[in-house]
Amino acid sequence: MIKLYRTSLIGVALACTTALPALAQDITWIYCGDKIDPVHEKAIADWQAANEGWTVTPEVVGWGQCQDKATTLAAAGSPAGMAYVGSRTLKEFALNDLIVPVPMTEEEQAAYYPHIVSTVTFEGTQWGVPIAFSTKALYWNKALFKEAGLDPESPPKTWAETIAAATAIKEKTGKAGYGLPAKTFDNTMHQFLHWVYTNNGSVIDADGNITLDSPQNLAALEAYKALVPVSVEGATAYEQNEIRAIFLDGQVGMIQAAVGAAYLLRDGGKVEWGVADLPLGPDAQGPGTLLITDSLAVFKGSGVEEKAIEFAKYVTSPEVQEPYEGGGAAGLTPLRPSPAVDKMLAENPFWKPFVDGIAFGGPEPLLTDYKGFQNVMIEMVQSVVTGSAEPQAALTKAAGALEEYK
Amino acid sequence: MIKSRSSLIFAWALLAPAILYILVIVAWPLFETFRLSFTDASLRKVTNYVGWKNYDKIFNETFLTVILRTFAWTFFSVALKMIIGTFGAVLLNAAVPGRHIFRILTMPPWIVPMAIGIFMWGWMYNGQFGMISGLLQRFGIVDGPVAFLAWGNTAFWATIVTDVWIGVPMVTIYFLAAIQSIPKDLYEAAWTDGASRWTRFRRITLPLMAPAIITMSMLSLIATFNSFDIIWILTQGGPSGSTTTMIIDTYQTAIGSKKYGEGAARAVVICIFLSLFCLAYFRVTRRLSATEKA
Repeated sequence: MIKLYRTSLIGVALACTTALPALAQDITWIYCGDKIDPVHEKAIADWQAANEGWTVTPEVVGWGQCQDKATTLAAAGSPAGMAYVGSRTLKEFALNDLIVPVPMTEEEQAAYYPHIVSTVTFEGTQWGVPIAFSTKALYWNKALFKEAGLDPESPPKTWAETIAAATAIKEKTGKAGYGLPAKTFDNTMHQFLHWVYTNNGSVIDADGNITLDSPQNLAALEAYKALVPVSVEGATAYEQNEIRAIFLDGQVGMIQAAVGAAYLLRDGGKVEWGVADLPLGPDAQGPGTLLITDSLAVFKGSGVEEKAIEFAKYVTSPEVQEPYEGGGAAGLTPLRPSPAVDKMLAENPFWKPFVDGIAFGGPEPLLTDYKGFQNVMIEMVQSVVTGSAEPQAALTKAAGALEEYK
Repeated sequence: MIKSRSSLIFAWALLAPAILYILVIVAWPLFETFRLSFTDASLRKVTNYVGWKNYDKIFNETFLTVILRTFAWTFFSVALKMIIGTFGAVLLNAAVPGRHIFRILTMPPWIVPMAIGIFMWGWMYNGQFGMISGLLQRFGIVDGPVAFLAWGNTAFWATIVTDVWIGVPMVTIYFLAAIQSIPKDLYEAAWTDGASRWTRFRRITLPLMAPAIITMSMLSLIATFNSFDIIWILTQGGPSGSTTTMIIDTYQTAIGSKKYGEGAARAVVICIFLSLFCLAYFRVTRRLSATEKA
């Protein structure tokens, strides 16, 4: 009897010990990319050590499927704890009650560069924590400038100068003066928004009114129209990275691109290049760019929302974020100013225009259906680029179509 | 009586796995899609029934254009596959030295994973780095780079060419088998009567290949109508929607814009068209087998 009692006791004890790890609560993290960044691996380990009984399980999903996976899981009622998403999706997720707010204190907000918090803010609340940030600048091919009789050390500062320089390159060298991406691809919209934000334009205002049909944006579309004949032939066949490849091959005079191109050019490019602030439109108030952020969104119904918010804030805190941004080497524009950023700017002057543009930059507009919004914008750009519509008509049509998504 | 009941039970038991499979894999999703097409299902957690609203919404001018484009895309693609496949089969059947090697050489488009083949065509169509544009420039046919995927018309035909490239090997091999089953003595008799090569092809090969051509056309029609990968990888339906077919439109609506209800309505319309094609296929094959028996 005693033996049986003892055996049972040992059995219960063993069962409890074995079950203990199962009692640990887990935060699943849909992680976009090919592999987990070592900085995040370390951050997860550190956080788990400081939060006994909690684990974080990242699931690496390729960029192409990442957002769809997070969305589908949430829509199916089995959401991940949190996911890496484009901040433009946050409004749609929030309106559909799929994510929880992640409010930031004033101190937290103040730590970021201007406008970054607005990329995740909707109805006065933050719905995600920014984790990656991208800005653009103008790259120019100095050899082509020289060949076209232009000053290779003076990049265009305005749209008018850009069009003039592109025309000169096309006429004098026979090569494309400008790289205008207009493929059926998300960055066709992004590239156009850089023009919007370098002319004090907007797509939607703080009250949710569509403001696309404005003189500032019309000027942007007219500039597009003027650039088409001197741009890479067949703009609608190329997206941003394909245009970048053409620039790296020395076949185009100017492009808008992220800082990644600078590293490619510096570390083995054959092009004599320079990088400057994006040229400004007639109504610009200062250097601008589209501010694209990716965020960590915390999904509703996972049962671990509070702890996921805590982890999301930890993993994007300066102590983790700075090594993740890698002093610029990862091609990510820093989210917050810091002594490390100052050092990076001093060591790599080509970083300057990517930070300059933040001052008058604007966020990706938050609409109720970001894919619908994207399609409308791409259609607008393509109709002007292919000559099937005049800028004003395309703008008015797009503005009308966006009413559905505001 | 007992025996017949037990054989009935045995028969149903044998059929059960197949029936279960069809119910779970085919019937249930189909029913769900049909049900969903009458709802406003989206990312929202609440779903309401909206009657025929989704169907009313999709039958606008844009969708009708998409339907017409889908039929045009399918027609040209299938027609080209049949024509090239027929002549390919005739050539491969010819008594030329090394014909076995030629037969093997027809296979790569079929063997190469489809996505890789499509990406390869994507590069060939590229204006700056593409082979086609490069050759055209080298031979002085065009002045500068030609980006085939940049313009509505060229993109439409470029996607068709890629689909034909992928589809032709199967058609050719199928037709080759059909040609080889034609009795040789028919050709010998015609040759003795002084019939030319063209006459023999027109009067013997084509009529006796007809059942194979009709069957393959119907099967190809069904597969091509639903073709997604080629257009999606090459153009994503662009530029300006000029290569958007029904299946691309459905994907963009249901998965891209998360309008599951509207997407389901589009899928139902595709399903109806495909059912009609299948019905036609079964009718044709039944008639062909009846003719053969007669």
